[in-house]
Amino acid sequence: MTQYGRTIEIGPTDNTSNERTPRHPLHLIPDSARASFAPYAPYNYGINPGEADMTRLAAGRPRADGDPIKVTGTITDQFGRPIRNSLVEIWNANKHGRYTHIEDQSGLPLDPNFLGIGRTISDENGNYEFWSIRPGEYLARPDIGRWRPKHIHMSIRGGSSRLITQMYFNGDPHNDADPMRILMGDNFDKNIGKEYDTPGKEFDCGYQFDIVIGGKNPTFFENDIA
Amino acid sequence: MTHSNIKSNLLTPTNEDTLGPYYPISLCDNDSMDLTKIRSGIINEPKGEKIIINGCVKDINGELANGCLLEFWQTNSDGIYRTPDNETHPDLDPWFIGYARNRTPDGNFTLTTIKPGINEELNAKRAPNITLTIFSDGIMRVVTQLFFEDESSNENDPLLRSVPEELRSRLMIKNDGQNEEGIKTYKIEIIMAGEKETPFFDDFAS
Ligand SMILES: [Fe+3]
Repeated sequence: MTQYGRTIEIGPTDNTSNERTPRHPLHLIPDSARASFAPYAPYNYGINPGEADMTRLAAGRPRADGDPIKVTGTITDQFGRPIRNSLVEIWNANKHGRYTHIEDQSGLPLDPNFLGIGRTISDENGNYEFWSIRPGEYLARPDIGRWRPKHIHMSIRGGSSRLITQMYFNGDPHNDADPMRILMGDNFDKNIGKEYDTPGKEFDCGYQFDIVIGGKNPTFFENDIA
Repeated sequence: MTHSNIKSNLLTPTNEDTLGPYYPISLCDNDSMDLTKIRSGIINEPKGEKIIINGCVKDINGELANGCLLEFWQTNSDGIYRTPDNETHPDLDPWFIGYARNRTPDGNFTLTTIKPGINEELNAKRAPNITLTIFSDGIMRVVTQLFFEDESSNENDPLLRSVPEELRSRLMIKNDGQNEEGIKTYKIEIIMAGEKETPFFDDFAS
């Protein structure tokens, strides 16, 4: 009788991963307890206009340093059904690789015009879009010279709260040594934004990043919330 | 259509990734760790027994796991989850949501809530429990479910029964007296990795 599911792998060269990754295989959930594992987050978003434009602190303010980029995509479940009204939280480093987070002690330059935190909500068809500055890479392990490649953090929440992920950039020289990229293997493709041209637009280029939420948890999205 | 056909048509999910160390603290501004207050400044309270759970998340070395994003999910005191399916259920408590979220700077947390209940009709076998999802730097999301020690209903709970007996105590929220206002307090230690690791569950494979 199998009682166990996946064993979570430890990200190579990632100290925190080593300290925090459960060693025991995950336990399978019996059917009669399954539904209780899908939280239904309340709708308390209260998004302000402009939160999806991370290239400025507010409309009319100067643009942050670096390349302004647009990120667009569709959020679906594994059946391709759109996930609507879902809160997308976004955070990324500035062009120098520095976060405005109070715990980022890297000492890299801050940009007085960049917050690096945004939010948006997927529309009726599961589409979302936001604007940001192409983030810089940063040195995650100075002791062994390992960098984090350029990436944008995203959290998809609403209905169920099931996905925290990162969008990566094709061809970043630091991609190959990234611990989580190594764990993703060939499936890393799913986490790369597909670059497209945006002729005549005021941003550098666009990235298509379609998000598929796996597992059995997105079921609540099927209900239309009035 | 065979089962394998259905499977092959499924889209490949986007990989989960680590939270990283810098989840924006301000994104939790509208979330609460006091589930007995549906909004600030409201006099109405949910039905049931108010309790306080003090807990912490620790790593393989027994050090507090800083910077984790924690999500809690539970039923009301009548055992009803606030989900769309239950929107019109007569025992849905309008003054209780059951979802809490918090980024813990140092690994400690305090959840003020009401004791979750049992619903005889919907799921008679489930003992009172709280689902906890942990997002952290270094790992993908892990999820577990916590129970209350000394609950006789624990004996029949299908999830607890599916876990080897010697591990069940690690999922128990323990009695810890009461505070100065007479509110019952509890404690729980979540160990993310190692010898005394908390059991975590696979919500992809099951
Ligand atoms: Fe990062």
